[in-house]
Amino acid sequence: MKKSLWMLLSLVLVMSMLLTACGTKGASEDVTVKFFHKWPEPEQLEYYNYVIAEFQKTHPNIKIEMEAASDEAYKDKIRILMSSGEVPDIYFSWAGEFSWKFARAGQALDITDALMNSDWKDKIVLSAVEPYKVDGKIYGVPMRINAKFMVYNKDIFAQYNLTPPTTWDEFLAVSKTLKDAGVTPVGFGNEFPWASAHYVGDFNAKLVEGTVLKADYLLTAEPDKLFTDPGYVEALTRFKMLGDLGYFNDGANGISHSNARSSFMAGKVGMFYCELEEFVTINQEFQNFGFFQLPGGTGGAGDQKLLTGAPDGFMVYGKTEHPAEAIEFLKFLTSPEMGKEYVKRLGIPSAAVGAVSADNALPTVVEGLNAINNASGMALWMDTDMNIKIVEVYLPGMQAVLSGSKTPEQVMQEVHDIAVTVQAELKSQ
Amino acid sequence: MNSLRFRKKLTPYLLLLPAIIVMLVFVYLPIVENIYYSLFRWSSIDPTMKFIDIQNYTRIFKDTIIGGALKNNVLYSVISVIFQVFISLVLAAILESRIIRHRWANIFRNTLFMPAVLAITVVGITFQLIYSPNSGLLNQLLRGIGLDSLAHAWLGEEGTAIYAIIAVSQWQWVGYDMILFIVAIQAIPDELYEAAKIDGASGLQQFFNITIPMVRETILVLSTITVIGGFKVFDIVWVMTAGGPNNASQTLGGYLYRVGFRNDEMGYASALATLLFLITLALTFIQLRIGRTGKEA
Repeated sequence: MKKSLWMLLSLVLVMSMLLTACGTKGASEDVTVKFFHKWPEPEQLEYYNYVIAEFQKTHPNIKIEMEAASDEAYKDKIRILMSSGEVPDIYFSWAGEFSWKFARAGQALDITDALMNSDWKDKIVLSAVEPYKVDGKIYGVPMRINAKFMVYNKDIFAQYNLTPPTTWDEFLAVSKTLKDAGVTPVGFGNEFPWASAHYVGDFNAKLVEGTVLKADYLLTAEPDKLFTDPGYVEALTRFKMLGDLGYFNDGANGISHSNARSSFMAGKVGMFYCELEEFVTINQEFQNFGFFQLPGGTGGAGDQKLLTGAPDGFMVYGKTEHPAEAIEFLKFLTSPEMGKEYVKRLGIPSAAVGAVSADNALPTVVEGLNAINNASGMALWMDTDMNIKIVEVYLPGMQAVLSGSKTPEQVMQEVHDIAVTVQAELKSQ
Repeated sequence: MNSLRFRKKLTPYLLLLPAIIVMLVFVYLPIVENIYYSLFRWSSIDPTMKFIDIQNYTRIFKDTIIGGALKNNVLYSVISVIFQVFISLVLAAILESRIIRHRWANIFRNTLFMPAVLAITVVGITFQLIYSPNSGLLNQLLRGIGLDSLAHAWLGEEGTAIYAIIAVSQWQWVGYDMILFIVAIQAIPDELYEAAKIDGASGLQQFFNITIPMVRETILVLSTITVIGGFKVFDIVWVMTAGGPNNASQTLGGYLYRVGFRNDEMGYASALATLLFLITLALTFIQLRIGRTGKEA
């Protein structure tokens, strides 16, 4: 009797579990759009929550599920999500090659139609859309614009009677003065070597002629010519020189970028090469700073006025089940109204037309955006602008050049070799 | 009667069945699948898989980074065994030998054990700060006592990076292994030590002739685990240097991860995973063999 009672109870338990599982398939019309970005910092999350809340007011039946991962973690997570098939409907992507590889694999939706055949195209700075194009089709939309500037401590400069340099030689002179006076000229944290890529990328753009550079980065050049321009070795040599002359702090390869930034904010170094988006962070602790573009001007076949920087934006998952809703939210996110709010809260230039003005941004940020608009062009972040396999050889190579364990010629030889291999691989696919 | 005996014989296997199924599905099947996947070129971004035969394996021989990574793994294993097996045994013997007053022995034991409960990321980030070239505790200490020349950019220099990381691992785990040895030593009957003392054996002689033979099993198990750990290591290295600078502190596990999750070459990563599996399998075999050859009845 007892045994059959237990059997009956367990049967009822199992049945109820099965039934509840069936029951949760609600008959609601709500659409859920998954949204993934790389800014988990509290201020950024606040902004995105605000955007979502505003969006829900006009679109009550579209639910937005947001997820965020920090810079390095994002690079891993997006790949894990893609291989598991649980790709977010909208996800962040750097422009350039980084976004093209998603487009090539069919993981990004072609939004040329949605963007160009609606009023959306009038609300975005169209030049910022360019790096998201593959074969003339648009796969991503920019949300903000970022560029790299050398910020300097105005107090320290005043103390040694220095003015912001406008040529490379002036920059070297300023650094020398600081070094001789016992002040670390430039704070530099290269634990994650994208930091050195921003220097070397800038030098590459200024020392190598534009079409040659493009052909090398995009692997359209002849195999035996890939990355053989002497400008590349010159760029690495220049970078190495900064290290050898002691213009960087000691042990840069072991310090993180944010640690170096803290040194600048604490007034311990004279200059710091950082992104426009970091101005607001720096400003929280230290206000008396200015900025200048990393100068060109000791000859070089490239464009001396190019500014290193890039748009940052989002792509829509190629196989999304809710393309219309995802695009709707993306349009809202990149609208001038949301853009203005972005600039006001975070001090970073939005890619929406007319979003940045004096009444919602730090003066330095407005100046920075003007500099971007006045630059002859942008040199994209080098490590997102070329195939990842080349990046994985080039960047450690920069660390090696800084530490002295490899010469610039050796590194460029390795870069050439891997570029040839990758080019062949891509051709065979 | 027959069916009762059959059921009796069957029962242990039935009880083992769930565990066996779990092992098959989550351990053995993935190993086989992994070997299968290593014969293709594929990435997490592009789901198409291209059969490339054993190219991923021939590539291992041409890869310049793997040599350095394996060397780091060997260093890791060897140094870890020295500290986590031998030195922790010595520490355990000292703490159990009643040379030190019981209360102090307890305090030492707890203090030495505490690092083991800390999360790896916490440890990694803390030591990054300690190792910081300009503001870190270690260099400040060295400069403070006049040893300026010994101050390095511990994690930023290719010559010191991996050793700095290995040191952190020892700091974290020596106490833990010491506790395991203490348990093993406590199981040694006192009479052996008393008999030895009566015969006039010194402390050192007691250590070599009684303690070590009696904890042989623990030594064997810990060495095996430590050596394998030295080859599997990933998290502490990733947090502290991500394998840099310039791959100087790269390990097989970290390189595997980079190849699969940054270079988008999952096929090659699978081949590296198979390599790791074969290495640890071989090492386990060897260690069990060595352990067995000394076994007296």
